[in-house]
Amino acid sequence: MGQVDLIQVSKRYGTAEAVSAVNLAIADHEFIVLLGPSGCGKSTLLKMIAGLEDVSDGEIYIDGNLVNYARPADRNVAMVFQNYALYPHMTVFDNIAFPLKMTGVAKSETDQRVRQAAGALGLETLLDRRPEQLSGGQRQRVALGRAIVREPSVFLMDEPLSNLDAQLRVQTREELLRLHARLQRTTIYVTHDQIEAMTMGHRIVVMRGGVVQQVGPPQQVYDEPANTFVAAFLGSPRINLHAGRLDQGGSGATFVANGTAILLPPRLAELARAATTEAALGVRPENIHVLLDPAATDGASNALPATVSLVEPVGSDLYVTATTGDLSWTARAEPRLPVTPGQTIGLRLDLQRAHLFGESGRNLALAG
Amino acid sequence: MAIETEFAELRPPADITRATAARRKGPSLYLIAIYGILVIAAFIALVPFLYVISTSFKDTISLFQYPPEWIPSEPTLDNFRGLLADYPFVRWMLNSFVVASAVTIVKVVIDSMAGYAFAKMTFPGKDALFLVVLMTLMVPFAATLIPLFIIVRDLNLTNTYAGLILPALASPIGIFMMRQFIETLPTDLENAARLDGCSEFQIFRRVILPLIRPGLVVLGVFTFMTQWTSYLWPLVIGTKTEMFTLTVGVQSLRSLFTVNWGILSAGAVLSMLPLVLVFLFLQRYFIAGSIAGALKE
Repeated sequence: MGQVDLIQVSKRYGTAEAVSAVNLAIADHEFIVLLGPSGCGKSTLLKMIAGLEDVSDGEIYIDGNLVNYARPADRNVAMVFQNYALYPHMTVFDNIAFPLKMTGVAKSETDQRVRQAAGALGLETLLDRRPEQLSGGQRQRVALGRAIVREPSVFLMDEPLSNLDAQLRVQTREELLRLHARLQRTTIYVTHDQIEAMTMGHRIVVMRGGVVQQVGPPQQVYDEPANTFVAAFLGSPRINLHAGRLDQGGSGATFVANGTAILLPPRLAELARAATTEAALGVRPENIHVLLDPAATDGASNALPATVSLVEPVGSDLYVTATTGDLSWTARAEPRLPVTPGQTIGLRLDLQRAHLFGESGRNLALAG
Repeated sequence: MAIETEFAELRPPADITRATAARRKGPSLYLIAIYGILVIAAFIALVPFLYVISTSFKDTISLFQYPPEWIPSEPTLDNFRGLLADYPFVRWMLNSFVVASAVTIVKVVIDSMAGYAFAKMTFPGKDALFLVVLMTLMVPFAATLIPLFIIVRDLNLTNTYAGLILPALASPIGIFMMRQFIETLPTDLENAARLDGCSEFQIFRRVILPLIRPGLVVLGVFTFMTQWTSYLWPLVIGTKTEMFTLTVGVQSLRSLFTVNWGILSAGAVLSMLPLVLVFLFLQRYFIAGSIAGALKE
């Protein structure tokens, strides 16, 4: 129980396509995260699974049953909404009991199940309060309680943490993971927050413009982004991504962007051979090393002299942004490195971990 | 074509610096002026009422004294006694009460349901239908008065409660008001109810209705007041004295050879009373209704 299959699922509003031809098989017990910027179609996809939006095209199966035409209540799914959607005129108890009441569960059983759910979420003392008397975190837990009391086979969560402050968000994130570990229910979680996606998902689904860009375990998606969009979306600070062209010179393949030439190591050179001349190079900030002595870059093909333009200390790290010619690079450096804007430094790019993107932004390492 | 390395959707949103409206630190003179104007306006509005109340307690002689007395030196209840003894005033009040209550109850039910449909449901022709509803709002009553009368007369409904009540139910203002009110409720509430197993009617009954109570009270009070003070239609449709409503009845007091201002004033005072009471008791909701946006969170 709890397997969800999406086959060529699309949603159109007039001529605009909000979700196009999504194929996805979600296993029982899986925690899957739909990730993307706002307007990418992730919430629409979730609402289609819930039955709150009609499907324009394609099929949705829950536990092998086609649910395209099933009422939301008959799909055995429960949803947690971004703004919690608690019934303001009901107490916490009545809010949690509401789905049981509507499906005709006996009063004594309702009472027991509500108390059990409330106990699991630490809401026992709040059962007589109304939503307006609760803090954001408490409301969030009531919304969760209303979802788990139904014992659905699939949980749908639409940015459930986005209305909480930063500290509470981290705490609730952990609670949700514990809850998932305990209940072992399939969870489809929508967020635009890459940290939530990376920390919570067994797999993440990166979406853009209604189209799935990549599906995979978080670390894999981070390490092997399918295209420039995924590379740019995951990771903070953002990956250094520069468009340029490939030169198959005598000394080996080089990547040239705005007059800066970078000799590619054999792994990337191999990829470059099969590519067109248009390409983009992506290097994550943690794969760029700051050398205080610019002279140290002499002779090293993957090192560049650069001028520091911005230094951002974040405590655990120091983000150093420096420019070579017209290219700007951000490096993640040691927190106490003595660099100041205007200083000339050397940047050594660890190209073994760099990505080369070809036509239409696809990662050449994954192409074909 | 160059490879895409910049993505519009990943750029941080443009800095929205909303200029905080500078709080007007006006001089107290400004406040004094505001209150002064309010006091004058309240005075102008209240004087006729106070004079009517005063008149209703005067006897025929002190009525025409000059300068007029504001507080009668010898207050009398004769006018009230005369009104209740010589005219079917109680019957008129009952008529008004029946008509206003019936219209109010039915309108609150119908308008909230129609408002919900227009605000939250999707059905073919919804926008066009709503436009038609709005258009009827722009037709003055005087334009439909005669055709409406002919219809009601042909249905043999003159001098009946049905004739007084039915036409009043068709006014679109309540539908419009309820739609605006219900639209402010977050859609996720209905969606949550839908997932919790509610049918469309149960969503309306169990989730929407309790939340729009302030709006229902406002609509109810407005409708009751409008019906209580309605004059033209009851005048046209009622020809028998016992089917007069208060407004028509009180007005008929002066259409004799002489005008008994004392009795007329007593009638006016008694017909105002229920409205004042309704307003006083429901004032809380009335004010809550006007700040209905606070419902959301």
